[in-house]
Amino acid sequence: MWLENQKMQRKSKNIKSQLPKVGFLFLIVGILIFISTPLKKLKGEVFEEMRLAIFQLNINETNNTTINNVNTENLEVTSENTTEAEENDKKANYSYIGELSIPKIKLRRGFVSKESRYNNIEYNITIAQEANYPDVPLGNFILMAHSGNAYISFFDKLYKLQIGDEASVSYNANTYNYRLTNIYNQAKTGTVAIYRNPNMKTLTLITCTHNDDYNQTIYIFEEI
Amino acid sequence: MDLSILEQLMTFITLPFQSFLTIEILLIFIILLIFLLYNEKRKNNKVKIAIIALIIFFFSLLVFYFFDDIVTVLSEIIKTIMRCFYFPNIVFYNLTAIISLVILIYTILKNNLTKLNKIITYILTLIHLYLFTNFISLAITNNTSLTDIANIYQHDNMFIIVLFSQIIFIILILYKVIYHFCYIRHSKLKNTK
Repeated sequence: MWLENQKMQRKSKNIKSQLPKVGFLFLIVGILIFISTPLKKLKGEVFEEMRLAIFQLNINETNNTTINNVNTENLEVTSENTTEAEENDKKANYSYIGELSIPKIKLRRGFVSKESRYNNIEYNITIAQEANYPDVPLGNFILMAHSGNAYISFFDKLYKLQIGDEASVSYNANTYNYRLTNIYNQAKTGTVAIYRNPNMKTLTLITCTHNDDYNQTIYIFEEI
Repeated sequence: MDLSILEQLMTFITLPFQSFLTIEILLIFIILLIFLLYNEKRKNNKVKIAIIALIIFFFSLLVFYFFDDIVTVLSEIIKTIMRCFYFPNIVFYNLTAIISLVILIYTILKNNLTKLNKIITYILTLIHLYLFTNFISLAITNNTSLTDIANIYQHDNMFIIVLFSQIIFIILILYKVIYHFCYIRHSKLKNTK
């Protein structure tokens, strides 16, 4: 009896001594779960910075190539360079073709071509299939992204925008500047009607309405 | 920025008296210091706890008033660490290689290290240095300028090499820190016995 009691006491002592360690482990796991989403978001921002830096680098290289072509008038080199560039584009389908910038909310984000499999709301701000590219006269460049708290919520601060705020799009080594002219909400039905001035080149941003699960907000910008 | 040493010193001395807030902050820190020094004589536990509570209260107030700024600063710190990990610049990457090399040479020369410790260190440092050498040779073959980091990381293979070598380097450093921590603890226990 006495031996059994001793064993039981030792066991309970052992369990008690393990409790702080288990508690500490749970605390660490809890903290990790709690900070995983902000960390993912920060990691996304760091990668985004690098992608934009590479995009800028490529634009600079393209500009340099154009200047060289004009100066040298060497058509053979130009065609080789173009083929090589096209091949590179096919290989690296995550490379950006342009960049959306809204200084007021410190948004700088690249976008890929419509054909890329990364032109998806789960990876990037997405170009709608119905959209025209920014260089099309009187076209409507439509971009969509999530809002909310997730790390892919690239349009999470769009609700802070007001009429008159400015945005710019870099595409094909050109920058297109726009001004916000209209904001309106629509119910989430899977489609969205865009009301814009057809005599102006526009940029349309679509995202979920802030703190509202049933509506989406459409921001119409017109070229300055 | 273009001040002389004397001017820099004068600015530093007059800095705490520029506004009421700075004087207040200075006074709080002086009082804390006096309390701590006085308590070193008295060794009163209540005073110790009170001072710790006061410090926590003071910094909680700072966090309360400047929460957004603190979050921004913390985010920037974490982003800088992430940048150093995922996209280190060439200076930082060279530094890791030098540290690895120093650890390798130290391990070769040191005789009183255990065999297992030596083997693990050799493996980790040599993998790291091998990846570093590979990185340099790739930069030469790709004719990549190492001064611009975007230029380096536009090549997927260079990004992968750097990423894996950073992982190896972190494992190496963690291993060394944990080993030394355990070693010191172990030797302390031995001494007390």
